[in-house]
Amino acid sequence: MMEEFTSDLTSREYLHCNFKNNAMIKRLFVLFLITASIGVFGQSKFIAKNAYISFYSSTPMEDILGESNEAVTILDSETGEVIFQAIMTTFHFKRALMEEHFNENYMESAKFPKTKFKGTIEGFNKEMLKSASVNIKITGVMNVHGVDKTITVPGTLGLVDGKLVGTSKFKVTPEDYGITIPSVVRDKIGKEMEITVKANYLPFGQ
Amino acid sequence: MKQVFLFFFGFLFFFLSGNVFSQDLDVLLNAETKPTINYTSATFKASRIISGHSVQQMKKNQLDFRISHRFGTLNEGAYGLWGLDNSNIHFSLEYGVTNWLMLGLGRGSLNKIYDGFAKFRLLRQSTGAKTMPVSMSYLTTLEIKSQKNDYNPDYFSSKLTFVNQILIARKFNDKFSFQLTPSWVHRNLVETELDLNDIFAIGAGARYKVSKRMSVNAEYYYKIDPNAKYLEPRTYNSASIGIDLETGGHVFQIMLSNSIGMREGMFIPHTTDSWNDGGIHLGFNISRVFTL
Repeated sequence: MMEEFTSDLTSREYLHCNFKNNAMIKRLFVLFLITASIGVFGQSKFIAKNAYISFYSSTPMEDILGESNEAVTILDSETGEVIFQAIMTTFHFKRALMEEHFNENYMESAKFPKTKFKGTIEGFNKEMLKSASVNIKITGVMNVHGVDKTITVPGTLGLVDGKLVGTSKFKVTPEDYGITIPSVVRDKIGKEMEITVKANYLPFGQ
Repeated sequence: MKQVFLFFFGFLFFFLSGNVFSQDLDVLLNAETKPTINYTSATFKASRIISGHSVQQMKKNQLDFRISHRFGTLNEGAYGLWGLDNSNIHFSLEYGVTNWLMLGLGRGSLNKIYDGFAKFRLLRQSTGAKTMPVSMSYLTTLEIKSQKNDYNPDYFSSKLTFVNQILIARKFNDKFSFQLTPSWVHRNLVETELDLNDIFAIGAGARYKVSKRMSVNAEYYYKIDPNAKYLEPRTYNSASIGIDLETGGHVFQIMLSNSIGMREGMFIPHTTDSWNDGGIHLGFNISRVFTL
């Protein structure tokens, strides 16, 4: 078949019959896939598919802790770009009712199923990925409850016990993201939520 | 020509794979996020639509303490303070043994009943990795009348009423939910020959959320009882309209209904008041949920 492609046919025949030749299209597609996958493997990206994200609010009335172990994050070691995504319904609480209220009344998870953050590590260099943990700052856009907000958060990045780990801890105010807390429960929900993030990165494709 | 053609394809490959090299992180992220099953939550606010059960149930280790009242009828007028002089109470403790099994025990002042129920979750409405259009539960209940009477002999079995229901509900969007409830009520002993021991009924219930913490609910039970109009007193289909208010761990339900009974074995077969002549009862349910 390859001979057909390269030698047997005149250019006229190419245009008139070989475009309809399935085998050739298949071969082109396979070739495309190979190049495409070389592209992916060739990327110097790191991924964590089971990253931990929690938010915590504490008041004298009640402590609220929601945790997810199913956030996905990718770090691009060429550019220092980092991206996080968590599906709201993967957050779990001690009390089932808190979980229901979280999804129904506050995050409106049916309407806004995901929370996302995309940012860049300030002063990033590749050595950070090969040395012990250092403090970093990440600036980017956080999307919660359908609202975009540019934030700068502190964190750490580097090797911990030979593994690439990224962490961050910062505070957010629900009102900044259009999440209103009615006066009846104002005493039970803190003004600010403490967000904790921990990701164990692996090279992409492993 | 051939060369031009090959060059064109070569260029195309370069272009496409180049695109992958500089692929946007968002695209990669979405490809790596595994599809989840999104179970529909809060089809209704409480385990009752108004008087009858909804597909909601207590999750594991949650305890619901419920207090309900139904007052007399509005047509009692000012003398009876539109029914408020006459109050029936029912309270119950209802517990989630697992996420799919809920058990309840209760006591009501009407006929001095003791009652128990088991509600099994059979299907959960979901989208995403698994699609299920409806939620479905099975409810079985037992009611025991402990009111003293002149029956002789007064068998214990004569005091029993059994109800079986299939609850089929769908949350159409975040505001509107609808439920159909095929029901079978069996009363071991009935008062007259005209009363049926077995009554089949179909219930329909709906809620519409008007705000995040308030919804308007309606519930109707159509019973198949050809003798209803010959009974003394005659019986009607149960029809109710109400409001759910939610505040943290509490749900308040305030309703108007032609039924005074708060349990299926009473309000499905034996609703003796009619909306047409003002036989309307004001009532409320209070639900307080504890996590054990």
